[in-house]
Amino acid sequence: MTQFTRRNFVKAAGACAALGTLASVSPQVIGKGHKGRVIVIGGGYGGTIAAKYIKMADPDIDVTLIEQNPKYVSCPLSNEVLSGERNIESITFDYAKLSGNRGINVVTDRVMEIDAAKHTVKGAGGTSYAYDKLVVSPGVDFRYEQIEGYSEAVAQKIPHAWKAGPQTALLRKQLMAMKDGGVCYIAAPPNPFRCPPGPYERAAQIAMYLKHHKPKSKVIILDAKDKFSKQGLFMQGYKKFYDGMVEWVPGAEGGIIEAVDPATNTLIGEVDEYQGGVLNVIPAQKAGKIAQLAGLADDSGWCPVNQKTFESSIHKDIFVIGDACIAGKMPKSGYAANSQGKVCAAAIVALLNGQEPGEPSYVNTCYSIIAEKWGISVAAVYQLVDGQIVGVKGAGGLSPMDAKPATRAIEAQYARSWFKNITSDMFT
Amino acid sequence: MKKIIQQLSAISAGLLMVWVVSGCASQSSAQPPAAAAKPAETKVAAKPKQGVRSPSMLANTCAGCHGTNGASAGDIMPIIGGMEQEYLVEVLLEYKSGERDSTIMGRIAKGYSENELKAIASFIADQPWVSSPIKTDKKLVAMGKKIHDKQCKTCHEDGGRVQEDDTPRLAGQWPDFTLQYLHDCHAKGRRCSPRKMGMRVMKLSDQELKAMAHYYASEK
Ligand SMILES: Cc1cc2nc3c(=O)[nH]c(=O)nc-3n(C[C@H](O)[C@H](O)[C@H](O)COP(=O)(O)OP(=O)(O)OC[C@H]3O[C@@H](n4cnc5c(N)ncnc54)[C@H](O)[C@@H]3O)c2cc1C
Ligand code: HEC
Ligand code: HEC
Repeated sequence: MTQFTRRNFVKAAGACAALGTLASVSPQVIGKGHKGRVIVIGGGYGGTIAAKYIKMADPDIDVTLIEQNPKYVSCPLSNEVLSGERNIESITFDYAKLSGNRGINVVTDRVMEIDAAKHTVKGAGGTSYAYDKLVVSPGVDFRYEQIEGYSEAVAQKIPHAWKAGPQTALLRKQLMAMKDGGVCYIAAPPNPFRCPPGPYERAAQIAMYLKHHKPKSKVIILDAKDKFSKQGLFMQGYKKFYDGMVEWVPGAEGGIIEAVDPATNTLIGEVDEYQGGVLNVIPAQKAGKIAQLAGLADDSGWCPVNQKTFESSIHKDIFVIGDACIAGKMPKSGYAANSQGKVCAAAIVALLNGQEPGEPSYVNTCYSIIAEKWGISVAAVYQLVDGQIVGVKGAGGLSPMDAKPATRAIEAQYARSWFKNITSDMFT
Repeated sequence: MKKIIQQLSAISAGLLMVWVVSGCASQSSAQPPAAAAKPAETKVAAKPKQGVRSPSMLANTCAGCHGTNGASAGDIMPIIGGMEQEYLVEVLLEYKSGERDSTIMGRIAKGYSENELKAIASFIADQPWVSSPIKTDKKLVAMGKKIHDKQCKTCHEDGGRVQEDDTPRLAGQWPDFTLQYLHDCHAKGRRCSPRKMGMRVMKLSDQELKAMAHYYASEK
């Protein structure tokens, strides 16, 4: 097999330089040294990848990752914590290998302010950090105000569990405390939101727990929408495993929740009121708070970017990736954030080396686990056409409706293995 | 020492791909991916042509499932980094055409042109093979080795370490993947390709298939 030896590396680089194609790169840039400082805000699905892939492509770029929490708890697979299929430790990660093995300067701090003109960001403790290029991957923030009576404080009683961690643990605790015969209501948010199949996978995972431990109970999804991701496959799975236990109420039939009353533990819809054993309210979303504060979002609440590089359309030298950005046809998912992180990293490396960013390529896959041995997926491969990210025609799509049980079982295995690999891509 | 050099070369390969392929490689879209390894022999254009995507750009999209540089972290996603280029090209083209069964690779491979799949294969082949660190069961390994020596060795030499254009490396692969492949081959029987392998694998019991998976995983 053709190994890339160091010799032909030197040869290749030499050949290019001799022919003048690297002419735009100044000599001190080719040699060892300082090519620029990149700061990445947010050590989640997008930020870790941007930081790591910049370092992998060019170790001479200084990379600082600023994350507010010392540990990261993953949303993907957190629904399995709700069913008791796994514990929260198995979805918790730290940044030791990113700093130890990858040479990334990992700082635990919360960014409070971005000064786009001065190219600095300010941490909660007052520390100021300077950058040449800034990557912002803060995830989502909630629009609590769209549900009357709901707030961050009320979420300590009626969890959203749409950011994993204590919220996940709280919802799990409530499910365990619920009496057999109780109802768990999941209020699903309007589009666009983080992880389109997420609420429906959650319903299945909660139903799995109830089936084993509280078989007279029910899960009812109160949806702001009239259709949802992988709907046919989810409905098929509900029927097969949780017949009569999972119910879906579309927006047009009273699913839209307008208010909550924490005192009586009640959800108030357009038509009906729902009082349940456990309430899980997932509010509408927008780009993470720091993106809002920095003026990176537009009227939609999300951040417009050049979809080739993810550079903000509003502020130069700031790049927004992951859930927070507007990325054409890509959904807001962990895999999408990973893919965007790599495209953005390559663009930043090119720019700091005085080159034009190359042509991008993106992928997304979302696995969902409906039962222990029943997995489904949706995938897409994307390209840039006229400045917009669009799916490649003929590629991607859903797991087939008529797949054999053995295939569904393998897909569930692949789903868990995907998680191992994407988190190793992020944290090692 | 060899490992260190391999790792170094992997890192520089990543770097090189960004520079050389986007900056210097020939722009003819028919240009095979080998251009990355032999830029001195290709014509050089100043800027990447619109629409030409570099091998690293394309291949990094696979890492979310197969791990960074194809070194899968387990348990059932296969390690692909360091596989023979010709084998990778063949497999990816068969996924694209639908000739090869898959749960998801068919949907993924259809998203790339034939030339792009070749470029991806060349990038992935250039990465070091990183064997699964999994602990194997001694008894199963011994049972697997016996079967291997009698029935599999002729095509999978040196404990499954040797790769040919049409035969992948088995040594160090995650046992869950090997087992899944063998279950599939067992069910297909004579329709499993190559037929000689299918006819042998179809006669193995569940326990023996598991033994094969453990044996190959033990050969790092
Ligand atoms: C229940 C559930 C299941 C899901 N399942 C899947 C799945 O199976 N597959 C999939 O692909 N996706 C899934 N997702 C979606 C996935 O979690 C998100 O799309 C992904 O996390 C987005 O990555 P991100 O980098 O934009 O944000 P995040 O991963 O949320 O990372 C943002 C990080 O930024 C930090 N941060 C924010 N503001 C600041 C600040 N001011 N200073 C410092 N740090 C800051 C946060 O602490 C956080 O660590 C799921 C989501 C949910 C809720
Ligand atoms: C969504 C997850 C996912 C993505 C993305 C993905 N793969 Fe795969 N890959 C799999 C799975 C699962 C299999 C096993 C076959 C199947 O069921 O699809 C596999 C099998 C393979 C195999 C066969 C390995 C063997 O030993 O037989 C190769 C080669 C491969 N993938 C290469 C790639 C390349 C190259 C890419 C990027 C262009 C890629 N894969 C992207 C999940 C993925
Ligand atoms: C006649 C030659 C031959 C014999 C004998 C043979 N194999 Fe294979 N094996 C192959 C070839 C060729 C492939 C690649 C097939 C393909 O394209 O999927 C393969 C693929 C495999 C794979 C899949 C690896 C991967 O990553 O996709 C496994 C596992 C395997 N063989 C195990 C065995 C075992 C176990 C035996 C003995 C019982 C055996 N083989 C005997 C030729 C052979």
